[in-house]
Amino acid sequence: MKKLAILLVVALVAAAPFVVGGYETNVLMNALLYVILATGLNLVAGYCGQFSFAQGAFYGIGAYTTAILSRDLGTGFWFNFPVGIAVAGLFGLLLGIPALRLKGHFLAIVTIAFQTIVYLTLSQWTSFTGGQTGLPVPSIGPVSLFGTTLFEITSLRSYFWFTLVIAVILLFAVWRLLQSRIGREWIAIRDDETLASAVGLDTTRGKLTAFVGSAALAGAAGVITAHAMRGVTPDDFTIWISATVVAMMIVGGKGTFIGPIIGAVLLTSMPEFLGGFAEYKMFLFGVLLVITVTLLPEGLIGRVRRLRERFS
Amino acid sequence: MDLFLQYLANGVVIGSSYVLVAVGLTLIFGILGVVNFAHGEFYMLGAYAGVTAVTLFGMPLPLALAVVLVFSALLGFGAEAILHKPMKNRDATSSIISSFGLAVALQNAALLTLGPQPRLLKTEFSTIPIELGPVFMPLQRALIPVAMMVLIGALYLILRYTWTGRSLRSMSQHATVARLCGVRVERVAVVTFMVGAALAGVAGFLMSSVFMVHPIIGNMIVLKAFTVVILGGMGNILGAAVAGLLLGITESMTSAYLANGLRDIIGFVIVIAVLLFRPQGLFGKAFERS
Amino acid sequence: MAPFSRRQMLAIIGASVAAPSIVSAQDTSPIRIGGMLPLSGPGAIEGHQVVKGLEFAVKEANEKGGVFGRKIELVMEDDESNSTKGVTAVRRLIEREKVPFIIGTYPTAVVIAASKVAAEYKVPMLSGGSTGAGATDANTPGDPWFFRAWPDSNGQGEDTARAIVRQFKAKRVAILHDATNYGVTLADQVTKVVTAEGGEIVAKESYNTGEQDFSSMLTKLRTLKPDVVYIGGWAGDGATIVRQAAEVGLRAQFVGSGSMLSDDFITLAGPASEGFAVATLYESTTPNEFGRAFGERFKAVYKHEAGTLNALGFDSTNIAIEAMRRVGKPDSAAIQQMLKSGMKDFPIVQGPKGATAAFDAKGSVNFPMFIAIVKNGKRTLVES
Repeated sequence: MKKLAILLVVALVAAAPFVVGGYETNVLMNALLYVILATGLNLVAGYCGQFSFAQGAFYGIGAYTTAILSRDLGTGFWFNFPVGIAVAGLFGLLLGIPALRLKGHFLAIVTIAFQTIVYLTLSQWTSFTGGQTGLPVPSIGPVSLFGTTLFEITSLRSYFWFTLVIAVILLFAVWRLLQSRIGREWIAIRDDETLASAVGLDTTRGKLTAFVGSAALAGAAGVITAHAMRGVTPDDFTIWISATVVAMMIVGGKGTFIGPIIGAVLLTSMPEFLGGFAEYKMFLFGVLLVITVTLLPEGLIGRVRRLRERFS
Repeated sequence: MDLFLQYLANGVVIGSSYVLVAVGLTLIFGILGVVNFAHGEFYMLGAYAGVTAVTLFGMPLPLALAVVLVFSALLGFGAEAILHKPMKNRDATSSIISSFGLAVALQNAALLTLGPQPRLLKTEFSTIPIELGPVFMPLQRALIPVAMMVLIGALYLILRYTWTGRSLRSMSQHATVARLCGVRVERVAVVTFMVGAALAGVAGFLMSSVFMVHPIIGNMIVLKAFTVVILGGMGNILGAAVAGLLLGITESMTSAYLANGLRDIIGFVIVIAVLLFRPQGLFGKAFERS
Repeated sequence: MAPFSRRQMLAIIGASVAAPSIVSAQDTSPIRIGGMLPLSGPGAIEGHQVVKGLEFAVKEANEKGGVFGRKIELVMEDDESNSTKGVTAVRRLIEREKVPFIIGTYPTAVVIAASKVAAEYKVPMLSGGSTGAGATDANTPGDPWFFRAWPDSNGQGEDTARAIVRQFKAKRVAILHDATNYGVTLADQVTKVVTAEGGEIVAKESYNTGEQDFSSMLTKLRTLKPDVVYIGGWAGDGATIVRQAAEVGLRAQFVGSGSMLSDDFITLAGPASEGFAVATLYESTTPNEFGRAFGERFKAVYKHEAGTLNALGFDSTNIAIEAMRRVGKPDSAAIQQMLKSGMKDFPIVQGPKGATAAFDAKGSVNFPMFIAIVKNGKRTLVES
């Protein structure tokens, strides 16, 4: 039953470009990318309890990896995609190391410092990253198997479907991971780290894998974005992006599988609901964040679940 | 050598503004355990309040200073009601996210109502130059470290010798015991936020005659202040004062001897290094980080 | 994929059958035009200035009765200086709001991403303040979809560098620039031309926009004894630098980039702005009579002098509206054709006397810049 519902939702999303225009398709694609980003953050912050303000930095690292590879080595998407994920994951590992010693506030501040350093490097190391102008990135182009071209990824629709496929694969992988031993280890670390290590769990490994997984997902989103936008610029990877991803996870409900997905879709399409109040978008964003944290600490999903329990 | 002293003096001036913002931040953290990202907005709004009081209402500087103090303290009062009161018994990240939201809201409210044009406070001190040996700077700049020392000194005396100050300190040491000894915890929380905000607001006002005022000045200063707070050891006021001056001097030397483009990055690199190798900060005592 | 699905085909046939009645029914409904600028996030300060130029041009067009009897309505989108947002905004303006053209945007990086999409839709874009050469270089020569009614940053850097060497007789030049695309390209161009003309670059330092304290950097510059200090960046930072340079006792001829020409600059920099020189696209005391008239009308409405960014926004919007008027209908492809070749007689408010919207094959307009100097707190143009 549940599987059927999921299939139906995916099929409906996949059919969307036939019904709606390019603008809506574009918004949906942005939402999908944010779903990947927020789900990634949820691994480390929601399940493992290690707060991070650096998702935008990993997103940028993935995007710039593919841009620099295709500029310097001329490699295409299918080579760059795994490399981008790996490089972002590697930086995740690097940021995970301080997380072994720091908690809460300290970790949050280290991730902010990391985000700021990555942004300043992307925008100032002009000879390597193209500086503020950024770098051009080619389209993914034709996809062929055994010498025959299957389809071509150049148009917006094809990028949308491609992103959808990748997002579904990644979400499925995350879901399986959460069911596995490692996922349960993360939750144990979040709930009580001392207890987790007392019963013999390897908390070091647990935290590091959460950071790597989180960064790798962001890296994947970054590589796709770079090709879809046909370019990268540092201002797409600011601390505001990180903050937006945090907000999506919080508003939807951290530590739940579906929460960050809902949050990402809601906040990506928020400007649509504002109409004439678009000018107040950022202001409302801040207010929304305060209200959610104060009144709905478990996010929308947590609240919905609570209500359902009460009525059943 | 003469040049070196000039760079040092420049660093002390900018460092003094970091100290004023960071001390409030570390006070709020040390006593209440709240990481307040909206602290930069106290600085920004304090600057606007002062500039408005002087340029729009023609107030003399001491009166404007009083306005800034009252206004910022009120802001702190409001912030406590949002960031601390409803957040008890929550994990540490709740207040971080909530204060981030508050910062975004305040900043954009300022952008919408006050507009993006930068402003500057013109005072009669702006053109008077002073010379101390080889060091040369306008009087208004030289006054900033002086004002910083007066304010931090006053804060130190209050914390040390008044009942309010003692209850603040007792809270930072052990909240439960403090409550048992008759400290009114709710009142202490409010006072802490008001004092922290007032310090940041006054810093904003002081700097408004030297640096431009616009809605996003809080962003960078709050990140710098966090750097200072970590370097000084979180909750450590004297540590923050020393670390603030050190960061200012480091930045000044970076501009002078390395490259100006590196000055904003250097603080963050130091902070990551310090947290990796000496997580209690340069002047902090080791204790459980949680 | 077929160019049109059956649904779309039916829609097109339906529309063409129904077209005559729609036109007569819509005769008085407003025509929506698109604007896209950073109104929040980085670049918001500049975006809010450019948008005044857009609004002013639309207001004036409507006061003259609009175009073909219809009022013009400006639909603004905020791109937050973010290219993902910019691309989405372009699609929204074209598909939802059905705008015939878009004025936008300010950051060149966003322009490059967004104008690719606009070109796919065959909707022309006119710069909302972007000066980077990269934006017009991305056009297909001969078939531009992105238009900029003023020279690119390379042109500006070149004119400034010549003035530095020839007019101010500088041998030793120090360059300060912000880390944005605008500042970096200007600094590179000035470096190239100054060196070619026989000058020497004694220092080149970058800073982040919004940086507050330049005193140590300027103290260091003082020891290098430059004849000219060139500043490539935005007005707020420029004013801070000039003021702090006076404080540290750095005496040299200061030359700034085109954006440092508002009254705000002089107010913020104070007496230190005396003698400051700038290569400029627009100046309210310009010998260009259209520019002067624009400045007076603008001041009457907004109660402050028109700055470069106001003028840039005004020109782009004004040209596009006029092109649409000449075409006779809000048709994007026809407007692009008109912009490409039909506007050579249309005066613009920037540039010297007689400057017109004569776009070249890459979609740029070229004219020499003015050199203006601040004298007694007022900007004065100097003859070159």
